[in-house]
Amino acid sequence: MMTNTAIKVSNLTHTVTSNTGDLTILKGINMEIKEGESVAIVGSSGSGKSTLLGLLAGLDVNTSGDISLYEHAFSSLDEEKRALIRGQYVGFIFQSFHLLPSLQAIENVMLPAELKGDKDARKKAEVLLDKVGLSHRLTHYPNQLSGGEQQRVAIARAFASSPKILFADEPTGNLDEENGKIIIELLFDLNQSQGTTLVMVTHDNQLAKQCSRQLIMSAGQLAEKTL
Amino acid sequence: MSFALRLMLRDIRSGDILTLVMALIISVSTVTSIGLFIDRLQLSFEQESANLLAADRLIRSDGVMPVEWQKKAQNLSLKQAERTSFTTMMFAGDTLQLTQMSAVTDSYPLKGAYLVDDTLFGTGKNSTEPPKPGQVWLSSRLASLLNIAIGDQVEVGEARFVVTKYLVRDPGSSASSFSISPRAVMNIADLAATQVIIPGSRVRYSLLLAGDRAALNDYEDWITPQLNDGQRWQTPTQKGNRIGDTIGKAESFLLLAGTLAVVMSGVAMALASARFVKRHLMQVAILKTLGATPRLLMGIFFVQLFILFIVGALVGLAAGWGIQGIISSLLSGLMSTTLPEPSISRLWLGLATGFVSMLAFCLPLMLRLINISPLSVLQPSAKIEQNTLLIYCVGFAGMYGLMCLYTQGFLLPSIMTLAIAGIGIVVAGLGWLAFRLGRSLTSGATSGWQIGLASLYRRLIPNLFQLLIFTLIIMLGLILVGVKSSLVADWQQQLPDDAPNHYLFNVQVDQIDQIDKETDQLGVIRSDWYPMVRGRVISENGKSIQELYPEGTDEPDLYERELNLTWASTLGKGNTLTSGDFTADGLSIEQRVAEEANLSIGDKLTINIGGNIVTLPITSVRTVDWGSMQPNFFLILPKEALQDYPANFVSSLFIADDNAQPFYKAMSQFPTVSILNVGDILKQIQTIIGQLSQAIQLVLLCILSAGALVLLASVRSTLEERLEEGALLRVLGARKTLVQQALFVEFGALGLFSGLIAAAGAEACLYGLQVFVFKSPASWHPLLWGLGPLIGICVICAIGIFASRTVLKVPPMLLLRDL
Ligand SMILES: Nc1ncnc2c1ncn2[C@@H]1O[C@H](COP(=O)(O)OP(=O)(O)O)[C@@H](O)[C@H]1O
Ligand SMILES: [Mg+2]
Repeated sequence: MMTNTAIKVSNLTHTVTSNTGDLTILKGINMEIKEGESVAIVGSSGSGKSTLLGLLAGLDVNTSGDISLYEHAFSSLDEEKRALIRGQYVGFIFQSFHLLPSLQAIENVMLPAELKGDKDARKKAEVLLDKVGLSHRLTHYPNQLSGGEQQRVAIARAFASSPKILFADEPTGNLDEENGKIIIELLFDLNQSQGTTLVMVTHDNQLAKQCSRQLIMSAGQLAEKTL
Repeated sequence: MSFALRLMLRDIRSGDILTLVMALIISVSTVTSIGLFIDRLQLSFEQESANLLAADRLIRSDGVMPVEWQKKAQNLSLKQAERTSFTTMMFAGDTLQLTQMSAVTDSYPLKGAYLVDDTLFGTGKNSTEPPKPGQVWLSSRLASLLNIAIGDQVEVGEARFVVTKYLVRDPGSSASSFSISPRAVMNIADLAATQVIIPGSRVRYSLLLAGDRAALNDYEDWITPQLNDGQRWQTPTQKGNRIGDTIGKAESFLLLAGTLAVVMSGVAMALASARFVKRHLMQVAILKTLGATPRLLMGIFFVQLFILFIVGALVGLAAGWGIQGIISSLLSGLMSTTLPEPSISRLWLGLATGFVSMLAFCLPLMLRLINISPLSVLQPSAKIEQNTLLIYCVGFAGMYGLMCLYTQGFLLPSIMTLAIAGIGIVVAGLGWLAFRLGRSLTSGATSGWQIGLASLYRRLIPNLFQLLIFTLIIMLGLILVGVKSSLVADWQQQLPDDAPNHYLFNVQVDQIDQIDKETDQLGVIRSDWYPMVRGRVISENGKSIQELYPEGTDEPDLYERELNLTWASTLGKGNTLTSGDFTADGLSIEQRVAEEANLSIGDKLTINIGGNIVTLPITSVRTVDWGSMQPNFFLILPKEALQDYPANFVSSLFIADDNAQPFYKAMSQFPTVSILNVGDILKQIQTIIGQLSQAIQLVLLCILSAGALVLLASVRSTLEERLEEGALLRVLGARKTLVQQALFVEFGALGLFSGLIAAAGAEACLYGLQVFVFKSPASWHPLLWGLGPLIGICVICAIGIFASRTVLKVPPMLLLRDL
């Protein structure tokens, strides 16, 4: 079976300047993720996982090396173009949900489609919220929802733009076990039914094992985990 | 576009946008209402003053004016009237009397009214029409000098007239022309028939104009370059005239007040924007992760800002119009006259304020919002701190620009800006010290005192900022109170209720005792008698005036006409010696006149007094308070120089309205004595001062309420944080009273510090304003030092109570969930 390369990273190094001096967070990372794969990134806190994820999604520019999503090299693009790539290819799920507090659940889910100027945004959002089991809470505001419910809205929102790649940064980190499970199930279900590539940072070994590949991050360097 | 609108509509529910629009509305409406109100007051002053001028504008000329001048006025659809004034002999049978005659067109007066009466020495009724052809109106004194009454005939030159009224007041006769001859008015249609005006006669021609401001300004631009030395363009509120000065000061004050409104509004806008941005930073970052491009976001924000501007500006303008209407209708009960309608053209000021405020206070913050890195969603520490200094600079520049726009000058804005900057630095320094001290005095967190003082230090930057805002607002309030009281006191001091309103001239030595007896009987307050001798300066340091100022050149007032000279051994009321020795054997000269003629101590003047020539050196210079309405003189001579000449005496009196009739009756025994009534002008000034005091009080109230709003906005901006903290403390088991006490201490300390620094700042600013802007002597304001801290603690604690009530009411659970 011929599979496309979704993400290709070569010689990625990332250095930030903070008030205590330069800090190299990522050092010489190389990797390739195929379309449809699910990859877990594990590692201790502060090892650089979130930074890597952010760079892969084009949220920031790396200091050296190359990252490309479906042959689009971020280093040659400006923020305007990168944003377009994000809108087209990428979905994101965060540890602390990050729903817009002033918008209702349904409006949060409608956002990505609306940003693209999609007329059927509301329809699609309703369908997605139904899939995550929140069809009865469409008009609720984030602060009227529990953490688990907020994360389900966030998942619906991530899938709303029909992304090719879904990034998740500790999606269950702020949730209890019960809710965590629901979220994971949803994530994998949707992932499979939509054929999405999944890149996920997690502390949960159980969860990591459900992924097709595991990568270990330590002190800014990445290693393949072989079972 | 529609997405931006939808996004904003959804956002409205969160209240941020509403806050922003409210701030914009407040700023636009405050500025608009003050602008409109000042405009109405100015129009009103102009109208009142126009009544004294009998026109909106006037051209005075020594010779006949070219006909094009009238044609031009006609083209601009200005109303016109003419007045020709001259001195002439009036005959009634065998008696004759030198008369100050004015011949006027039927349209005269364009503004104001004649005051005429049917009975001799009556107080008069208004008449807006002049005498008809063939008629003449005489002042009561002229009638009694000629020994005639209404219905009798008089002759002027070759023409005969019937006396139809007694003239009490001519609206165009300004008090400054101390003409000695009694007055009369006739119709200009009869002027040619009298044949009294022949080449070489001393005649003053006036062309009076009235109409709308734009046309008058056009006319002024057109006429000014054509005027020669013998011609003057006069406006009702000319500099140097007392009413003009009073209005000028009041205008500065109201503009200052308006400037303060701009500052407050700016702060309110910036606060609201900052809050908006703070709340939206994460949202924008999220939108970016969802694929929103910078260009799209920029578009969204521009559309949103534009809509905000439109809504805020329109509502603000409407509200401003309404507020100013309310103020005026409140005032109309207190004022004797109704205010003229405000001009719509003034609305641009509010619009400009709204626009500049958006640009200066919202846009930089919004741009910062757009520039946020999407990475901050993952890494809150990665929030790129933008050039904050730049944001403050833009805000400051915007504020300064608005102030300049407002006051149409740089002095006042510069003083204010420097003061604010200075206060900012001082507040930051003192606040830091005070907070630190509070922290080090109380370590531990067991009492409300300790928690309160500790949190002052912990939230150092926001608290310093808040301290600055509190301080500025309290300071502005105190400055307004101080300026108002010193302005009003200054005016009242200048014009007490019993300021003299009549002058008596031409009194002979032997009449003094009799007049004193009459006035004492009526209980009239009278100034001292000043001897008065007429004389003319003929040469300066040996050079004749004619040589120094040949025909046609603009000679100084001192040389222009015959002067009233007096002698005095002591400096009179309203006179202040500025240099030299008053008792020395020489001339004492009034400062302004001396400056105009370029004279100083030691210069010698030669004066012709009734044919005798006297030469004396100048030995002292005085300033004269012309507003004191005391008899004042350009030149005071030593007694020896004048005592041999036949002198007339002059005095000023205050005559109450109910005393006027008996006083005039009594004075008819002395037909040779000239009476000059300046009561109308005085009343006018007093009315204006009354109106101003009221107006200032109301404007003050407006500004302070704007200030209160800003105060509330700024407390709101940190309220959430305090709420969370209060809830946290309660979750940790703190009793309600502890939380309450801590909040009280925090706010109370803030209030106390702000009040104290504000009092000091206000004192400094008042000093600057008094000395440089209002040009009045500086004074100390002990009231401020009590008022400042008191207001600070009370107001800020009141808000503290309000805040703590919310903290205690809300269940901690709900707050934690909102995090
Ligand atoms: N913009 C930044 N400025 C300073 N330090 C940063 C920045 N971004 C990340 N770091 C630091 O880099 C390290 C790795 O961060 P992160 O990628 O969040 O690790 P992880 O997600 O694995 O816990 C942390 O120590 C973090 O503090
Ligand atoms: Mg992380």
